[in-house]
Amino acid sequence: MSSLPPPGPRGFSRRTLLATSAAGLALLAAGCTSSRTEQRERVTGEQADQLLGQVGVQETLVAAYTAAGAADPGLAGEVAELAAQAGEQLARLRAAAPGATPSAVSPGSPPSPGEARSWLRAQVAAAATSHATACVNQSGARAALLGSISAGLRGQDGRLA
Amino acid sequence: MADDGADEGAQDLAAENAALGLALEAAHAAVWGYGVVGAALEPGARGAAGSAEAAHRDVRDRVITLLAERSVEPAPAEGAYALPFPVLSAVDAATLAVVLEDGTATAWVRVLDQAAGSGTRELALEALSGAEVRAVGWRTAAGQTPVTRALPGLPPG
Repeated sequence: MSSLPPPGPRGFSRRTLLATSAAGLALLAAGCTSSRTEQRERVTGEQADQLLGQVGVQETLVAAYTAAGAADPGLAGEVAELAAQAGEQLARLRAAAPGATPSAVSPGSPPSPGEARSWLRAQVAAAATSHATACVNQSGARAALLGSISAGLRGQDGRLA
Repeated sequence: MADDGADEGAQDLAAENAALGLALEAAHAAVWGYGVVGAALEPGARGAAGSAEAAHRDVRDRVITLLAERSVEPAPAEGAYALPFPVLSAVDAATLAVVLEDGTATAWVRVLDQAAGSGTRELALEALSGAEVRAVGWRTAAGQTPVTRALPGLPPG
């Protein structure tokens, strides 16, 4: 690996590594009120239906964490944080989807305690793929949310490997 | 009406290009930063840093090509960047890698928010997912908990 110049005062940019990202973050957090932004955030009937569908996908994933934990109590403790994050993702999706109401869903049951982890991982991967597909068809904050959730689940998938 | 539509389309593309420009700057910073990460790791542990750097180079090049096709001048990399903290150990290196990946994730979520076309969203999604998967490994190496994020790149709700 080639040596790199140390960070120093002379001739070096004072730009921090994340300054550009922070600007975007602030805009996302504050939201925009321009007409163009309003147009981007306008949701078509098809997009609204798709977003409601993604709420259902996430509900199924949350139920899968519960089912996997019931099948393998040891796994339940190990994935408690991941399950909580799946619940947090569900809450954000419901908030973004007008008309979304909690519903009882069943992901089925893991085939056996010994296979609970691989079954759960498959459920996580399937949900990530579903959110990613939906993300491409959405726009504005809805696309950002679905993309973020999908990426978060890809991280969970790696953790479960 | 037709002119209004054309104006709106141009504004959409300008917003997308601006977001891509920020993502490019984050990629430049990541490529540079991974040099620091790798230098702080033992030779046998540099594989992940090298792979991550290559991934950011690939994304960087794709964004440069995309912007060039649109006659948008891509921002060049800085000569160097100020580190957020001294990088003196393997844990420091992993912590810096987390900062780099989280930074690019934020930039790519911004692209998703601003994108006018599905092709750009696909690129953003790929880059964002790659960043989070790598970040999970680096958070583990840095001893951070939790190692996963519910909503990478998004501000807290």
